[in-house]
Amino acid sequence: MKGPLEAILQDAGVWRGIDPSTTHAGLCCPSGWPRLDAALAGGGWPLGTLIELLLPTHGLGELRLLLPALCQLVVIAPGSDPRWLVWVSPPHEPYPPALAQSGLNPGGLLRIEAPLPADRLWAVEQVLRSGSAAAVLCWIDAVDDRWLRRLKLAAQGQSVLLIAFRPSARRGTTSPASLRIELMPTTEGLDLDVLKARGRAPTRVAHVFGT
Amino acid sequence: MRARARSRRTIGLRGDEALTLDLFAPLETTAAVTVRTLAPPESRQSPRPLPLWLAVSFPMLPVVALSDPDSVQAVIEGPPGQQRLVALSAAAESLGLRRDLSRTAAEIRVPTLTWCERRPELEARALEARARAAFALTSFVSLEPPDTLLLEIRGSLRLFGGLEALIERALAALGTARIPATYAVAPTVRAALWLVRGQPGVRVESLAALPGVLARLPLSVTDFDATVRSTCERLGLSTIGELVRLPRAGIARRLSPAVPRWLDEAFGREAQPRRRHVLAVRFTEALALPAESTSTVALWPWCTRLLQAQERFLVQRDAAITQCRLRLHHRSGQPPTMLTLERSLPSARAQEWLALLEERLGRLDLCAPVVAVALRSGAVSPAVPLEEGLDLSGRDGRAASARLLDRLRARLGEEAVQGMCLIPAHCPESAFRRVRPTWPSAAAVSDALPCTPRPLWLLSAPQALLLRGTRPWYGGPLQVLSGPERIESGWWSGQGIARDYYIACAPTGARLWIYRERVATPQAGWFLHGVFA
Repeated sequence: MKGPLEAILQDAGVWRGIDPSTTHAGLCCPSGWPRLDAALAGGGWPLGTLIELLLPTHGLGELRLLLPALCQLVVIAPGSDPRWLVWVSPPHEPYPPALAQSGLNPGGLLRIEAPLPADRLWAVEQVLRSGSAAAVLCWIDAVDDRWLRRLKLAAQGQSVLLIAFRPSARRGTTSPASLRIELMPTTEGLDLDVLKARGRAPTRVAHVFGT
Repeated sequence: MRARARSRRTIGLRGDEALTLDLFAPLETTAAVTVRTLAPPESRQSPRPLPLWLAVSFPMLPVVALSDPDSVQAVIEGPPGQQRLVALSAAAESLGLRRDLSRTAAEIRVPTLTWCERRPELEARALEARARAAFALTSFVSLEPPDTLLLEIRGSLRLFGGLEALIERALAALGTARIPATYAVAPTVRAALWLVRGQPGVRVESLAALPGVLARLPLSVTDFDATVRSTCERLGLSTIGELVRLPRAGIARRLSPAVPRWLDEAFGREAQPRRRHVLAVRFTEALALPAESTSTVALWPWCTRLLQAQERFLVQRDAAITQCRLRLHHRSGQPPTMLTLERSLPSARAQEWLALLEERLGRLDLCAPVVAVALRSGAVSPAVPLEEGLDLSGRDGRAASARLLDRLRARLGEEAVQGMCLIPAHCPESAFRRVRPTWPSAAAVSDALPCTPRPLWLLSAPQALLLRGTRPWYGGPLQVLSGPERIESGWWSGQGIARDYYIACAPTGARLWIYRERVATPQAGWFLHGVFA
């Protein structure tokens, strides 16, 4: 009985939801939200891979959710070079005074405007390949599966937080992302629906933070 | 006795001797201060190394400089009727022709002789091209028109592994495999020039050996003018050695005052300044395409050639550029298409420029077929020696970041890539500015930050909100969470604002930054200005 199962698991197309070998693999960055950290395998956002955040609309607290992690990532380790915090085609202007209030240095922000989806993905790939970014936030909608896979590969092996914001309508599509989370605003705050997580079963995180 | 010796030593600061001053110390103590006196300049300075000149002469340059050298056997020069052969191809020489033969005599010997008038401007260009190549071996190259180059090689001997290796390399760099050349090495310019004419292949490295070698040279190799030479002939002088033996004053009086001076220069008794050949500052080159091109893909090899030529040009000068301009010429009447390539860090490498060009050419729509491509480099700056850095991971942060930004700009445009900086201003939309990014700066966060919360998203322009009754509406009634925060600013500039800002909650759960315009204008009302994302 063991033979056929092993053969199936060897198949590259098979993804194991709970894989003990990958549970602690890879770098992680604490998200700063204890309820979310508890639901993620490494105790935080996985680095060097693709994370997909699905949103019904912009401005639900998606940046607030990421800010603690971003602040940690842009801190310059002694002896290493500073790295960019890259925004690829954000829906609105990231407002530097507010980011500075949260502890992010506006001098480290890099905003890239690419109206065409192909350019946008190309820009993200270039940023990842250069290795000069600490975090990449990109807003993409309809995109070929292969492109997402390319981005995931480009991020591999680096301590970079790669977040793709996509509309909730894409919830049903397949995605190579290692972590997929849908953001659900409630009257009290924000709930997270973890659709796919490396090394953990899908779960729902209620009330990550209040309004 | 001892004190006297000491005082003599302290006074007698002489030459570069080091002496010991035991200030404030009893004579027996060994604690001492060592003082090295300032030596007089001539004794301290190491003697200026004797220059060593490599003269390379191209006797066939008049032939090879022509646009089609293969079809010409001889190049002639002179007024009609007195034309003489100045250079011969190898084929013509094998037919028994010699230089200085008159054209008529040559045509009698070889009736099928093909000849061509001398073209000094082509020769000058050909010599200049060889001078450029010579810069690979030394930084001091001097031209001796019409056909000789002088290279100062003393400083390069060690780098290239000795005289033999250097000469071999120089001859290879100057293309002597294709064009016959002669050379000579001597410690003075004039001796090198005379030797390359009279005794090619000779190497004289020291001044001491020079008189013996020069003495055997015939006077015909010197630069003396015709009257001096004919006088020498009448006096029965045929070699330099015979001339040198004569009294100096007599030579000056009977031949020319210049002759003793030239001899002094040749033997190294007097310095002979040389003009250093200076290379062009910018690279400019154009290539005519063999056929009109309608696709940018077909332009690629030509652009590559130009950029590689530019790389060679820059490497010879130890220089790099941050900008270059490619010009695509169309058929007459059409203005040329210009492509300006820019990098944040200077580079000479064709590979780096091709990466940028790839982005530009790939997105270019040609308005007309291209007939020629021209490249002109921007201002030249000294090369940055270690662009890649010594980091063994092969990733120097600054260079990688600059390369990324250049590439993004090349494809998406200058405006598409932006950094941010804070401005201490009260008006929300003036509190930051977009800047040209260079490097993630760790600038201290300004202490002039607003003390009340600001939204993470700012709308590029405030969006007017609908009103239902007196309450603002955005997909539903907005519920005010906090406020007002009054911001009044800029009245002195004529673009003042007077607003009351509130934080409101939309029915979707989004927290919004809205304001009420307090100025009684037609635009008065409620506006959405930001989102607390």
